[in-house]
Parts: sequence; structure tokens; C-alpha cells
Amino acid sequence: MTITSTDIVLQVEGLHVTYGNFKAVDNVSFHVRAGEIFGLLGPNGAGKTSTLSCVEGLLQAQAGSITVAGYDVKLQPLHARANLGVQLQTTNFQPELTVAEILQLFAGIHGVPLTRERLQEILVSIKLEDAAHKRYGQLSGGQQQRVSLVIAMVHNPRLVLLDEPTTGLDPQSRRQLWERMEGLRDNNHGILLTTHSMEEAEAVCDRIGIIDHGRIIAIDSPQVLIDNHRNDPAVISVSRKGKITLEDVFIGLTGTTVRS
Amino acid sequence: MNNTVIPSNKAVLSALLRADFTTQWRNRRSVVLILFIPVIILISWKGLVDKLGGPFVLSNCITIGLNAVGLMGYSNAVARDRDKGIFQRLRVAPLTAWSIMLSRLAVQLAMILLVTTGVFVAGYYADGIQLTPGGYIAGFAMAFVGGAVYLGLGQAIVGLIKNPETVNAVTRLVYFVFIMVGMFAEQGALPATVTKIVKWSPYGTVEHILSAGMQAGAWTQHSTIELLVTIGYALIFSAIGIRWFKWTTK
Repeated sequence: MTITSTDIVLQVEGLHVTYGNFKAVDNVSFHVRAGEIFGLLGPNGAGKTSTLSCVEGLLQAQAGSITVAGYDVKLQPLHARANLGVQLQTTNFQPELTVAEILQLFAGIHGVPLTRERLQEILVSIKLEDAAHKRYGQLSGGQQQRVSLVIAMVHNPRLVLLDEPTTGLDPQSRRQLWERMEGLRDNNHGILLTTHSMEEAEAVCDRIGIIDHGRIIAIDSPQVLIDNHRNDPAVISVSRKGKITLEDVFIGLTGTTVRS
Repeated sequence: MNNTVIPSNKAVLSALLRADFTTQWRNRRSVVLILFIPVIILISWKGLVDKLGGPFVLSNCITIGLNAVGLMGYSNAVARDRDKGIFQRLRVAPLTAWSIMLSRLAVQLAMILLVTTGVFVAGYYADGIQLTPGGYIAGFAMAFVGGAVYLGLGQAIVGLIKNPETVNAVTRLVYFVFIMVGMFAEQGALPATVTKIVKWSPYGTVEHILSAGMQAGAWTQHSTIELLVTIGYALIFSAIGIRWFKWTTK
């Protein structure tokens, strides 16, 4: 099947998530196209994780719909997840297993045959060819992130969710990960990225959605967001260097109060 | 919409089992410890075999081993993996939740088999305890029923408690109480009321059905009632554990 760059790989429509009386996600709608990196930005507690959890099928929304590659996550969860590659924030593989064993596990549960040659190719692609028999717990943070990303991609999913993937990485590893993300985009994968780094969002995202108090308050390309809010007094008041940046726009729109 | 292929249950289970058995193998030190305590008790009770009877000694040691499998092994592994987000990572893959747990339980069934075999072998070589073939078969069958009680109890603990350190502390405490109170009460060293409570506790019923199962002709109507109570414990603990279990600590 030919995938065109306008294919929508994730469609979120009118999503509502509540915890008791608290509205964590309030009528959120956005989409991610194939060949696009979409950044979902927001302060702590803004609703990013709840939105992502709904996309992953780990949380049931009270209202709204989500489709991944055309499959409804509620009605066809296995089909939706088969089209989804996920890199979660924290270390989440058995530390006793080696890199090769983890790759075999995830290839197996996605029904992807993994020959010794293919395994070696994958390891070479992430510069871990000598680490096949190293236990996951023995890898550095950067190496773990590379393994985590390659596992998210082992079944060639149409949509990749990256949840703060560069947190704790050194600048070299971070740049390398950006290049990998751009490589995925060039191969027509859709990427949904969450990050607290405005530099990262500005560097790699084609479009950005800013979420606060459970609502999407702005959605556009980084440059258009900057241009549209250049003269906003709230944005100008938080600008530090006389030049408006994405971070200024973000803080101008979401406020300066530190969230818990 | 593309033509998405969902992997078969067989392929998924095969991948999970391979990973779970490998993880258990890498943690073989804890496997040795689970086996170590019942075998040490078995050897130290050598002089009591004639007085208490071989099946009684074996059944006590197997019960202690099953306690360790369900409480120390299973519940702590589940609590750790939940805390590390290992379950969440698996749950975003195209597989069902039951396949994740089925694979985990298969590892524990293998552990029950290993502990029971270990006790039978140690009992034979160290204490000279020999059962009939039927006694061994019934012993294995009762060990699986008894193992279900402690796996259920382990599941109930991880269902009710989220913090892995608290799970660890509680399981150790329950394990200690079960084996200490259980062993002393079974030998008549505790007051009558405590002995009666222990008799119908998960320790007592499991120990009794194991002991009765191992001796041809020793199975009575009372043993059947104890078997039913044991199954009841397994069902109640499992129901609590499944009802309140959360896949994440958040």
C-alpha cells in the first residue's frame, strides 16, 4: 500500500478524560499525518499524559474518539496497537534480559520474524553491534534510549509515540535522537512527540499543539506560532533576549506559575 | 486503513514465555533460596521422620516451598515489573492482558513443579522417604492446588498494595507467620485454639491435602472438605487479586 504524506495516522476527536470532578482532558482534538512530527507540549498536569495514555489504549476516555491508522482504539484495540510504536518515559524492559532478547521478545509479540542477520542489522543501525548480549540494565541512558526507539520501530508502525525521549540525554545523544526522528519522518512515519524542551520542539516538530488545563490552546507550526504571538503582551512580557522564541510563546500562553 | 495482521496467540505466548523463563533463569539465585529452606528443614527433621511420618514431613516442606513461590517469588516479581513500567510497555503492544499473566503463571507452575520435585528427591536421598507412584502423582496434583492458594494470595497482596517495598515487607511477614505458626501448630506445640485456626488456615489445609494425597488410603471425607476449602481460598484470593489489581503504580 502506498502511503502519501497527507495520510492521517492519528485522529483524536473531542477527547474528554475526567478523574472524579477533575477534567484532565477537555474536548481535545488534533491529528498527526504520515511523514510529520507533531509535538504535544504542555506544563505538568496539562493533560499530555492522559491524552497519550488514551492513544495507547491504557486509559479509557469518557467521550471522544481516537483512531490509529484508521482503527478505533476502543473497538479494534489490537489493530490500533499493531500500528503503534511506543517509547515510554521510563526504563521499562526486564533488566535481566539482554538487548538481543528484548528485541526478540518485541519482534515476537508483534509477529515479526527476526533472523540473526536482521537482528545484527538492527544493532548496527543503532551502533550497538557489540551490545547484543549485554543486559539492558547495563546500558547507558543514551544506549537505552536507542534500544527503546528501535524496539518501538521493530514492527514498522505507522505512528510512533515518543514520550519525552531526550530527557536526561547528553547533547550528542539528543542530536543523534533528533536525526533518528527526522529519519523516521522521512520514511513517512507519523510521530507524536511530547517534550518539555522548547528547543527540541522548535528543532524537529513540523506542527505543535499546546495543551493547558486539558484544552488545546494553540496548534500550528513553530514558526507560525511565534509569528502569531509576536505582539501578544503576555508573550513580550516573558521574553528574555528581545527576540521572541517558542519558549516565550509557550510561557506567555500557559502562564509563569510553576505546576506541580 | 491498511491490512494489519495481528500476531497469533501462539506466537505472542511463545515470545512471552521465552522472555519470562529467561528472566527466571537469570534470577536463579532466588530460585535456589526458595528451594533451600524446605530442603534444609527436610534434612534437619530427619530424626523426626519415624515419629511424624514421611508424608507429614514432605507435606510440611512442600507447603513451605509453595509459600515461598507464591509470596516471595511471584508477588515480588509482579510488584517490581509493575513499578518499572514493564507491564505498561507490554500492554501497548498488540496482545491481550491475559496472555501477559498466563505467561507469568506458567513460570510459577514450573516453579511449583521444581519445588515439589526437589522436596521429593531430597526426602528420598536425605531422609529415605519413599512414596508409592500414586502417592507421588497425587502429591504433585495437590501441590498445584496448594500452589494456586499461595499464588492467589500473592496476587491479592499485589492487588491491594501498590508500593513494591511494602509488597516485599508484607509478603515476608506473611511468609514468616505462615511457616512459623504453621509448623509449630502442626507439631502440637501451640495452644489448642491456635492449632485449630492453623488447621483451617491456608497453611493447614494445603499441608493436610498434600499429606493425605501422598498416602494411599489416607484420603477421607475430611480430606475432601479440606480440598474444597483450599480451592475456596484459591478462588477468593485470586478474585480479590484480580479485582483490585492495577497494571500501574500511578
